[in-house]
Amino acid sequence: MGNQYVDMGLSAPVNVTWEVTFKCNLSCIHCLSDSGKKRKGELDTDQCRKVIDELAAMKVFQFNIGGGEPFMRRDFLDLMDYAHEKGMVTCISTNGTLITEEVAKRLDKNLVYIQVSLDGATPQSNDAIRGKGSFSNVVKALEHLKKRNIEVSINTVLTRLSFPELDKMVELASAYGAKLRVSRFRPSGRGMDSWSDLNVNKNQMLDFSQWLSRHLKVSTGDSFFSVTTEERKSLGLNMCGACKLTCCISPKGEIYPCAFLQHDDFYAGKLPGNDFKTIWETSPVFESFRRLEIKSCESCHRFDLCHGGCPAIAYHTQRKLGVPDPGCLANCVKIKSPTIVAEGA
Amino acid sequence: MQIHSVYSLKNGVQVRKERFGLLFYNYAGPRLYFVPTQDLISNDFFEGKQQVKELVDHIEANHPWPRQWIEDRIGQVLQILEQKGLIYGQSVC
Repeated sequence: MGNQYVDMGLSAPVNVTWEVTFKCNLSCIHCLSDSGKKRKGELDTDQCRKVIDELAAMKVFQFNIGGGEPFMRRDFLDLMDYAHEKGMVTCISTNGTLITEEVAKRLDKNLVYIQVSLDGATPQSNDAIRGKGSFSNVVKALEHLKKRNIEVSINTVLTRLSFPELDKMVELASAYGAKLRVSRFRPSGRGMDSWSDLNVNKNQMLDFSQWLSRHLKVSTGDSFFSVTTEERKSLGLNMCGACKLTCCISPKGEIYPCAFLQHDDFYAGKLPGNDFKTIWETSPVFESFRRLEIKSCESCHRFDLCHGGCPAIAYHTQRKLGVPDPGCLANCVKIKSPTIVAEGA
Repeated sequence: MQIHSVYSLKNGVQVRKERFGLLFYNYAGPRLYFVPTQDLISNDFFEGKQQVKELVDHIEANHPWPRQWIEDRIGQVLQILEQKGLIYGQSVC
């Protein structure tokens, strides 16, 4: 990753996370956006097309689509077609429950990635988080997608429940020709309520870091750079990409640094209405994010690997930016060391 | 590189102009490739219409560098981009 070029300031994001609706047919206990019912003010079809026009004109390469459940929108596939006509790549995060054979056929094109959420290798563990019956529905979706050779990742949020099943998740993904992607649990939306129950402890985070270093084909969506080891340092970002490489658009068109910081403190503007290029280039929120320095981390031997970690987690747990990621590997090692000594004695 | 070739983006590849030069995005991955060409090569060059000779002529007319040096540098950049699977060349002669 050419950090020095990113630091010069890009003319547009490389990708934009776009949560296209709050509506969802599941009620996962860790949902970052507290999704459920459609909310007042969500963008309609014409407004969504204007968003696509504006971002395509700036040459944004990719949309990372999320929600809510994107397929709950009746116009969703038409909107994706519209983005593809403009040459944009779409990576769609879905709970998989609405991917029928017909939907899979429509998705069978070059510019689409699908990311299906699954939070356990068995119905028991997955459904405890995502709701009864969700595991079997996802398996059906994976079969439809596999039949069409569509590029798929299974996305698992790292929690105390999913952590012991990661090896089985690798096997499950492989059985469907999919990659495994593990993403970080963040205390946002309903994740705030379940944070203390579900978040892995520091020993588990350290074990997970070592697990990742043995599973180089498992991707992380760049959400675990705080625990990146030397083995993985060439595989992705070594810093937070918010406002430098990416940003987020909410279902109402509000623009934020990232999906996990959809908070009034980080509101940068709204589409359609405000000019996205102006927001990207001059928003005070975005500018302050680009200047964000986590001074207390600069002397750490791991600084080049993580640059202080994820500001969103620091914000949600400590209500401030510019402080170290609490899940940082250096902190985990400090906790783990006495246990190792005790076990060896 | 042939001086009378034109170059186009491979399927799934996009490119845009940035302050440092060109930023390529490859759907097939690895996703991003940063090319520090400053303003020497425009992203429009990869639409397959402008010959390498025309690009070199343009650079020579606007910079004090020897023509052979420009040809060598442009040739190196195009060769690397071809090796990375981002572009392909076609001779027009």
